[in-house]
Amino acid sequence: MLRYILKRILLFIPTLIVISFLAFGLSKCTPGDPGGGYGGDDELKISERDYRQAIERLGLDKPVFYFDFTAKAYPDTLYRIIYKYKREAAGKLIGQYGNWPQIEAYYHGIEALQKQFVNLPDTVGKKARAKVLPELNLLETDFKDPSILNRFRRIENALAADSTTTDQIQDGYLTLRSSYETIKTAPTRRKLYVPAFYWYGLDNQYHHWASDFLKGDFGESYLTGQPVADKIWSALKWTLLINGVAILVAYLFSIPIGVYAARRQGKPFDRITSVILFMLHSLPSFWVATLLIVFFTTPEYGMDWFPTFGLGDIPDGASFWDVIRIRAWHMVLPVFALSYGSLAFISRQMRGSMVDVLRQDYIRTAKAKGLKEKTVVWRHGFRNALFPIITMFASVLPASIAGSVVIEVIFNIHGMGKVVVDSIFRDDWPVVYAVLMLASVLTVIGILLADILYAVIDPRVRLGKK
Amino acid sequence: MSQEKAENSGKKNNAVGLNYRQLVRRQFGKNRMAVWSLRFLWVLIFVAVFGSFLVNERPLYCKIDGETYFPVFKQIAVDLGLDKWESKFVTNDWDDHEYESVVRPLVPYSYNTQDLKNSFVGPFDEQRVESLRWRHWLGTDNLGRDVVAGLVHGTRIALLTGIIAMSIASLIGIFFGAVAGYFGDDKLKVSWLRILLNVVGLVLAIFYGFLSRGYAISEGKLGWELIKGVFIFSAIMWVFNFVAKLLERFVSIKKGIRFPADLLIMRLIEIMNSIPALLLLLSVVALFQKPSIFNVMVIIGLIGWTGIARFVRAELMRIRNLEYIQATRALGFKEKYIILRHALPNALGPVLISVAFGIANAVLIEAFLSFLGIGLPADMVTWGTMLNEARNAFDAWWIALFPGLAIFVTVTLFNLIGEGLTDAMDTR
Repeated sequence: MLRYILKRILLFIPTLIVISFLAFGLSKCTPGDPGGGYGGDDELKISERDYRQAIERLGLDKPVFYFDFTAKAYPDTLYRIIYKYKREAAGKLIGQYGNWPQIEAYYHGIEALQKQFVNLPDTVGKKARAKVLPELNLLETDFKDPSILNRFRRIENALAADSTTTDQIQDGYLTLRSSYETIKTAPTRRKLYVPAFYWYGLDNQYHHWASDFLKGDFGESYLTGQPVADKIWSALKWTLLINGVAILVAYLFSIPIGVYAARRQGKPFDRITSVILFMLHSLPSFWVATLLIVFFTTPEYGMDWFPTFGLGDIPDGASFWDVIRIRAWHMVLPVFALSYGSLAFISRQMRGSMVDVLRQDYIRTAKAKGLKEKTVVWRHGFRNALFPIITMFASVLPASIAGSVVIEVIFNIHGMGKVVVDSIFRDDWPVVYAVLMLASVLTVIGILLADILYAVIDPRVRLGKK
Repeated sequence: MSQEKAENSGKKNNAVGLNYRQLVRRQFGKNRMAVWSLRFLWVLIFVAVFGSFLVNERPLYCKIDGETYFPVFKQIAVDLGLDKWESKFVTNDWDDHEYESVVRPLVPYSYNTQDLKNSFVGPFDEQRVESLRWRHWLGTDNLGRDVVAGLVHGTRIALLTGIIAMSIASLIGIFFGAVAGYFGDDKLKVSWLRILLNVVGLVLAIFYGFLSRGYAISEGKLGWELIKGVFIFSAIMWVFNFVAKLLERFVSIKKGIRFPADLLIMRLIEIMNSIPALLLLLSVVALFQKPSIFNVMVIIGLIGWTGIARFVRAELMRIRNLEYIQATRALGFKEKYIILRHALPNALGPVLISVAFGIANAVLIEAFLSFLGIGLPADMVTWGTMLNEARNAFDAWWIALFPGLAIFVTVTLFNLIGEGLTDAMDTR
């Protein structure tokens, strides 16, 4: 038994590793700048020191992965440009021209010019500075030829209007201008077609992200700086609560319905329930939830029977039973919306597997022995029909957790699903991918549990017979 | 081949002389619910295809200042880039023209027509319209958009989602399922030379197909550039396999291993199934800077192929042990030829079952995403977005009822068709 469990656990490790690659890879494609820096037309550039601190705290100043497989045109030190938009612009310039040394010189030119401007005495060229400096900053994030040329033109115009500044800046500007021309005139595009492999070692973003995840540290929220783990744990509580109750309800009702329908196969009860269950199975839960909330929580239609949102506030000093009562009252609608789908699914499966079992020879034998119908069904049939229902737990749990996303949003319950949706709308990406990862881990554990349960009940499985 | 099978099962059903397809059709015909679902589906498809002729703010035919126009047809030409609107149609609303004679579609509103005089009116409320012809039969939303028009537009989106998503899912699923089912873990023998060349080829194919074209992919048209990338990828893989085939004749490293195709593909399916699909979908769709309904369709397809793959795998595992496959193999046909010409065609019927259920699921997922408002342009009207409006307007029951009903009916139709197909193709 122990060996079987160990084997199953070992098999899940590669699965989890691949999922972590996927979640991490997706998290690297997110829009927006986690350092809160400048981008697009945002003229406010937070000070370089603050930006660098934020990036270093988030660990984003490290290489992304253990290695990089790319074209030779891209240098292995590209990750050292800490500004996200500047790094991306540099990458895209390389993608067009393939000559990193020239591009690097061009970026040095911009930086030198920026420094020169900042170091100018305050009395000189205030106007020009106000116009040129933002253009220079934006130049760092530009990679398309027309838009770069456009910026140069604007800088020239601003300088032409202010001759005192021009005298001091002219040299730096001309070098910058010519270094951009060199990029265009001396491209080495063939380097884009030569593969290169760079090894970065263990000190990389993925390694830290994954090992922190194992330690229970899911990073920090871009918005509030609060640890993601805190946010998720408090949300997980509610998700597990409503899903636990919903699955319990579904199993409690569906098993008797399934067994009863199977015993009366082809009779009116069976036919009617099977149609109803089929309908329930196809009813989209978010529609049902919307209808429930529209009709049963507002006085409009005279059926204001349930609270609309949330899981209720618990007043201070409420007794245990009060808490239960308030919570239960708020949970009726969401739990109903969550459970009827799996109820229909499980009932149908239960009926199917019971019908199969009741066809077996040993059931006929039991009946022939003169045992009571009840004993035959429950003692002999039911146990064997239960196997597939137990393994179904593995698919019901993840489906239920995913399904609760929309239920939580509709009923405004602060579970994982609502946290994910809110975080997506607010670009708080670490939360999204931590939840994705965590939900996958939970699913994997659910599958594992079902496998183990199955092995416990059915010895053939663990003994490896097929 | 199928003739033989049909005769076998034909004897059982007292229907000698019918081939497999006719038999399935006959069985399917006995399931009344499934047959009616199929008929109703044709109606839905009709509505989706000819929606702009039934529901449109533009007239079908009109005469202004002695000139005749066919605005609905013209719209199609304009959308295809073949034609341009006359200036008076651009500047004026369709209601504002002085028509000499006009024929309007059944419902004279488009999904985005805003009838501000009649915002938020229910089907039974009094409406400020000129005549019954202009009535909003199922009410309007807060911007005065007609619910019927929205439902028709939603039908288009939903069916299109189902078709595109399931086409992609079928392609991937059938490929993986066929390889896993036909070869299993021990039938695919590969020489070391071929493995080596394939690994090298794979690395180079990824590099030239995608990595070295990074700039084009990120700045050009994403879909088009990705298709180009896939083409380069396949070309390089083909070249390497071709070289491997040539070399295998001359070099004597024939020794190889049994490639565990089934094991690897089943692992991949297990991984896909371990990630909660809706969460994965949410977190992928949210990444796109420019939301588009086509991204949603493609991603649903890319995620939803595992069911089809398992189905095809199971079918091919059964089929590969049938006598006629053994016979073709004994005759020395190539494996590729056997799979494509003999094994797969007999497995494709049952795939229809999982495609039917898959479309139901895709429609549901699309509605789910648009209900949450993630991954869609803000002005998009689908069943999901309409249903979402109901959450802000509890007194407008018609907005909560009809779009949801449309989703429910469509999903049920496909589920019933799937059930009917399952019964009809039941091999037991």
